[in-house]
Amino acid sequence: MYSQKVMEHFRNPRNVGEIPDADGIGKVGNPVCVPPDTDIIAKDSAVPIRAINKSDTILSHDGAFHKINKRFSRAYAGTILDIKNRLGNTALTPDHMVFGFKVPKGDKYRYTRGKKKLIGDLAWWHACELDKGDMVAYPVPNESSDISEIETHVEKSEHDFKSIEIPPKIKVDGDFMRFAGYFLAEGNTRIERCKTYATLTFNTNEEDNVMDVCRLVRNIFGVEPKIERRADRKTVNIVIYSAHVARFLRKMFGGKDDERNVPEFMMFLPLDKQAELIRGLWYGDGYIEVNKPRASYSTISKVLAQQIKMLLLRQGIIPSVYEEKARVSKGVRHRKAYRIFVLETPSIRKLSSILSVGFNLKKNPRSKAWIENGMLFIPITRIESMEYSGFVNNLEVNVAHSYVTPSLTVHNCGDLMWIYIKVKDNRLEDVKFKTFGCGAAIATSSMVTEMAKGKTIEEALKISRQDVADALDGLPPIKMHCSNLASDGLKAAILDYMKKKGITPPEGIKIESETEEKCDI
Amino acid sequence: MSEKIVYMDYASSSRVDPRVVEVMLPYLRELFGNPSSQHSASSKMKNALEEARAKVAGLINAEKPSEVVFTSGATESTNMALRGVAFRNRDRGNHIIASKIEHISVLNTLKYLSKNGFEVTYLPVDKYGTVDVEALKTTITDKTILVTVGYANNEVGTIQPIREIAEIAHSKKAYLHTDATPAVGKISVDVVKDGIDLMTISSWDMCGPYGIGGIYVKRGIRVEPLILGGGQEGGLRSGTENVAGAVGMGRAAELAKVEMASDAERLSKIRDRIVERVLKEIPYSFLNGHPTRRLPHNANIRFSFVEGESLVLSLDMEGIMLSSGSACSSKTLEPSHVLIAMGIPHVEAQGSLLISLGRFNVPEDAERIADVLPRIIKGLRQMSPIAPEEVR
Repeated sequence: MYSQKVMEHFRNPRNVGEIPDADGIGKVGNPVCVPPDTDIIAKDSAVPIRAINKSDTILSHDGAFHKINKRFSRAYAGTILDIKNRLGNTALTPDHMVFGFKVPKGDKYRYTRGKKKLIGDLAWWHACELDKGDMVAYPVPNESSDISEIETHVEKSEHDFKSIEIPPKIKVDGDFMRFAGYFLAEGNTRIERCKTYATLTFNTNEEDNVMDVCRLVRNIFGVEPKIERRADRKTVNIVIYSAHVARFLRKMFGGKDDERNVPEFMMFLPLDKQAELIRGLWYGDGYIEVNKPRASYSTISKVLAQQIKMLLLRQGIIPSVYEEKARVSKGVRHRKAYRIFVLETPSIRKLSSILSVGFNLKKNPRSKAWIENGMLFIPITRIESMEYSGFVNNLEVNVAHSYVTPSLTVHNCGDLMWIYIKVKDNRLEDVKFKTFGCGAAIATSSMVTEMAKGKTIEEALKISRQDVADALDGLPPIKMHCSNLASDGLKAAILDYMKKKGITPPEGIKIESETEEKCDI
Repeated sequence: MSEKIVYMDYASSSRVDPRVVEVMLPYLRELFGNPSSQHSASSKMKNALEEARAKVAGLINAEKPSEVVFTSGATESTNMALRGVAFRNRDRGNHIIASKIEHISVLNTLKYLSKNGFEVTYLPVDKYGTVDVEALKTTITDKTILVTVGYANNEVGTIQPIREIAEIAHSKKAYLHTDATPAVGKISVDVVKDGIDLMTISSWDMCGPYGIGGIYVKRGIRVEPLILGGGQEGGLRSGTENVAGAVGMGRAAELAKVEMASDAERLSKIRDRIVERVLKEIPYSFLNGHPTRRLPHNANIRFSFVEGESLVLSLDMEGIMLSSGSACSSKTLEPSHVLIAMGIPHVEAQGSLLISLGRFNVPEDAERIADVLPRIIKGLRQMSPIAPEEVR
């Protein structure tokens, strides 16, 4: 079927591989994607994929954070699959690959046989291959770095003449972390001229917490808090009349309730310090039932919800995350909230020991989820297929080639033919390729690298599909279209190079297979 | 380069058994005569033909030899079954049910029928390639005249619950046709027990000669002939009989009946050895089709991140011949419709390798392919931009 030349190039392909410091990369093929609103877990927050920046470092399946090389966007019309598990749901194109394993039909919702956990082939599965009951693997971040103190760095505003000074450095210890938890749960700041202060609001029956917070405020900031009791509302306000403390707290934890977040450095502190943060959060606003395996925490900050999830996972506590829609109940408007549940005995046991509360549960029901080797394994609870029309995005992630949404670990995957070029003095000094494809695809890739090497970029841009086919003594007619992308890949690489250099490409240069996909960061 | 050619593409073509060639030769060299004539030369031919028919009927446990009709091959048999039943039973209805994973000869005949006033419903299959029997129950109506489901799939080897399908078809008085090309002579097929009304039988698939095949038509089934003429084969298939071919096919059936069980045991051992080694030694390799309910000589393995045609070409260079379900190796440039129907994504279906063993494979063949595959896959993955770092 193939000419001898095609077979010769297939048997012995030239210039296979990557050029690490390539001046231009051309990619052709069909990538797989997620809708633009999909959140991606980054170092200190969860960012919609459409808003992700090249400076963001994001979590990958290996539990580490990696740089993003590129983000792609393209128009897509067709089926997308919405995969749901206890951490939330993620929609993706059916070919997109998800990290997890298949559970044999008879073992769905058992996960153990005898005492052995059923861990199948942990692999990348196409979304459409997965079924309800199959397990997905979710990474538990494993990077850790301790710091002993932070600088407060509060700038004095121009009208501020009398604010009490606070220490320039604050010790990052258990006490500070517990205060952080309290503040994230119950705190507030008001920053207006002459009215800049911070408050923490408790119920009248939380006297222990009130005392604890007052002590912490004194020790950490050297400021005496004021206690305001409001019997009519059954609340106790702890007011910190210090502009410096208020500014510091706002900078550290965000302003409005829906923007609350844990500062990045705290996400990587050792487990004992993070445990104190969880303690403060739960004492402030959390809920734990000691007779039933049930605990929960609710917040209207999406980012904080994702962070608490990660903090719990690092402690070996398995959370579930639910979105509660905005609603009006008994005349009270409730905003969209995120509720984190801890529902399983082993997890509750760990949480209750962090919170130093007694634990009465005797029964130990079988777990439907577990953490092993830095991975959380959770079952898929639902898969829905729906029609989608609009833009979709994908990322290219350095080293690990994967990224993490609030509920899934997905592969970054992508194009089927990549051409790398190295340019020197307007000439293609080196050309390399990588190709997923048939004999013709490999042979044309190999041939185009040979043809392009040493040519000026103007000459190289002129290489057409026909030229490549001719150089290979022809291709079977059926292969002329689908497998002859190499010259397009070369053009894409040169255009990429020109774009980077700010060179305007000559008029009339068109990529013959022009896909709608484009690299947009 | 390798010492010996290893052929593992018996689903595409098979070597004619020398014992079959031997019995055919007299009919090609010296014996001749038209079985329909009245003289003694012809009666010899007639006897040979009927003897062959009885042997084929014996292999599939047909009640009467006359229920087997010789044709030019499996494709003709399928055409005759589908078109013959459809046009002859038009008065009873115009609805036909098939599975999505039928052989191309079935699908294209159905396409022709749907252009000629028949309605065709295609049943989905599960991820193992087993036909959804529940879907059959809900789609079958009084207008359904024919249900056609292959006995076993030629690509992924999954054996269908034919008996159950036949019961459902018969409950609505529809006929059941099954294309048993990859199954007859490989696993025991009993047309009576399985409730089959019409069945396509191949000759070369059981190491018989090419240019001949058969169709089982149960007595009393209303079917129209495809080819008209002198009224041979009970009026169902005109044209002077291919006696040499029939004798060869008869001999092949006879051999298959005796050797089927031992062949199946021997080939499934070789097959299992290949699957075991390949799945163990190559990461991201998966078995397509049903893990147990499958043809003994078939394995369909897919390798993520590589493309099948490249795989086939690379194996060919090592002297190992087999096929792929990849788009690039098909005329339509679509990946195997069987794998797609099973829900395997396009990119993954591209990397599938169809291993079909036959009578002449030996245990060493398993080691040969399992020895070279890891290196070939690794090489192709090194070239592949979609392969994760750890497998490059």
